[in-house]
Amino acid sequence: MSLTRRQALKSAGAVIAASSLAKPAIAAKDPIPVGYLPALTGPSSSTGVGINRGIQLAVQEINAAGGIDGRQLELITRDTQSDPTKAVNGAAELTRGQKVSVVFGPVNSGESLAVVPLLARTNTPQIHPCWVDALTDPQKYPMCFRNAPTNQQIGSAANRYVMEVLKRKKVAVISDTTGYGTASVNAYAPMLKAKGAEVVYQGNVDAANPDLKPELLRMQSAGAEAIMPWSVNAGFLSRIINTRGQMGWDVPIVGQTTLGSGQTKDLLEKPEYWAKVYPNNFRPVCYAPGGKLSDRTSAFLDRLKSAKIDMGDTLLWWIALGYDSPRMIGEAMKNVGTEPDAIVGYLNKLKGFPGVYGDISFAADKHDGYPDDEVVMVEANSLKDGAFNLAPGYSA
Amino acid sequence: MVASIVSTGLAIGCIYALIGITYNVMFSASRVFSFTAGTLGMLGGVLGSLFIARLGMPVAVGFLLALAGGVLLGIVTEIVAVRPVLKSLDQHLYVLSTLALALMVQQFTAIEWGTEARPFPRLFDIARGGFDQQFWLPMLACAGVIVGLELLYRHTLIGRAFLAIAEDTYAARALGLPERSLRMASYALAGAIGALAGFAGGEMLLAFFGNGPMLTFYGFVPVALGGMGNNRGAVVAGLLLGLFQQTANFLVGGIFASVAVFTVFIIVLLARPEGLAGAAVQRRV
Repeated sequence: MSLTRRQALKSAGAVIAASSLAKPAIAAKDPIPVGYLPALTGPSSSTGVGINRGIQLAVQEINAAGGIDGRQLELITRDTQSDPTKAVNGAAELTRGQKVSVVFGPVNSGESLAVVPLLARTNTPQIHPCWVDALTDPQKYPMCFRNAPTNQQIGSAANRYVMEVLKRKKVAVISDTTGYGTASVNAYAPMLKAKGAEVVYQGNVDAANPDLKPELLRMQSAGAEAIMPWSVNAGFLSRIINTRGQMGWDVPIVGQTTLGSGQTKDLLEKPEYWAKVYPNNFRPVCYAPGGKLSDRTSAFLDRLKSAKIDMGDTLLWWIALGYDSPRMIGEAMKNVGTEPDAIVGYLNKLKGFPGVYGDISFAADKHDGYPDDEVVMVEANSLKDGAFNLAPGYSA
Repeated sequence: MVASIVSTGLAIGCIYALIGITYNVMFSASRVFSFTAGTLGMLGGVLGSLFIARLGMPVAVGFLLALAGGVLLGIVTEIVAVRPVLKSLDQHLYVLSTLALALMVQQFTAIEWGTEARPFPRLFDIARGGFDQQFWLPMLACAGVIVGLELLYRHTLIGRAFLAIAEDTYAARALGLPERSLRMASYALAGAIGALAGFAGGEMLLAFFGNGPMLTFYGFVPVALGGMGNNRGAVVAGLLLGLFQQTANFLVGGIFASVAVFTVFIIVLLARPEGLAGAAVQRRV
């Protein structure tokens, strides 16, 4: 049978038409690529490992429930290895190579400082949980949102607790010599002074220094009534706690969340040294006076247990934060689709997204979504199932 | 205050001195400053904690295994990072090769052991006191190494062979001494001394992968101050460094203590480039 040119063109046209008609049906079932930049290895990976457990659970649940309008969420993970350079490489690959709709992470401030400007240039919506204040700016980075507190919120909560609850006016503020540590001391000491406190000691000490007794003696002789350490180094924090114990100095230690970590606990010379240590934490994932968690958090804890997610070596708020993030992204996509501008428009109007970690709200001119009054202090030695008791002085 | 300066200063000074001796033992056999010295110290603490605290082995067994780990790394350093570059010593390639090996070991430790400081076990079950075991253990280790090395170098044939290699490699080889084997033995010995430094100082420094660079850095100061290859100079300079550092911690505190240490270090080197106990090298022309 001979084939005329017209018949051949008709056939080709039919094939093209058929394929172009079929395409939307296939695309509708394509997974939605979501970029994810956790630090799963390297020096700052403990946060990322905890957050990752929540993220994986949330994505499993979303996909098991049918995904987003029939499309599965596909997490495309690039481990930053706690290294800003690798985080930048991962971000570039996610946006240019994988063409992701949105990026969650990085989860450490050092990496985010490098990645946020890059993602802003590629017009990719980004949500991150990093605390450094400069990591959101609706003018400079209009597509970047933070679903965690800022350093200002963290410092304010600790300062408030020292001055208003513990009624201590003479304060020692100490950190290690990392960027985070020095920036925190430089930010929080003036905040304390502005509230009327007297900062009787302010110092940055090498975290490798094995003996912090000289520093604590200096604080004591200056009349310090509270010590506020800002460091994520468990060795450094445990040395402060141990030295206070050896000196028999009855002074509260109020500060960074790592004060309450299992690694810090392991390094204490005596378990009783952990008393009167109050790290930052977050009210929705804390035990209220009476030892109860909120209904939302209790239900979440049950879900974690039934999913056999290990909580013994991590903190509940890390898992909860990880769990909330893909749910918030999925909620946006369910409402407005996967276009970047539509997602940003939706997040700009988000009001009270009900997270386990906290209710998140954004506005066009405010991309820091965590509420001030949910940042609280807790009793370090009350750790159970990754959660703590609220520090004395907080109401239920 | 004085008691604290003396106990902590001497203890940390002994750790620095032991790392300085580690540098020197490797240097004497090869004319190479191996920057794995601090890594050996770090490994001694990590392996001690691993074997005793985590795996529950008896202290003596954990101690010997930690030293064996140091010996192994010493031998690997000689084979991987020193031997291949000895022919090109003028180019100081050993700086890169030993530093690269040290970084690899440090990263491997970070991945396998973790990046947080972990507790080092109490070696003797005695109550904590003013002059605690965390202070006298490094001093004991340092004294033991000084005496051991003196006995080795002065009263044994292999010790004299070490000295011969250190004095003149070519002449020693011409006399039939097995230079390569002796060099490897020196690196193994240095590995054991480095690991001993970290093990004895474990209670003070904790089992932390980040101790490597710190010990590499501060351990080099006694070598530079005491004179290259001079163990007695390294011990004296190490003890002085520890005492001065701890005094600076008390007097100026914070990051200024480190600044004070390195200011003095630079002044001493400007005044005596060959080190406090070193002799100026005369070169035949």
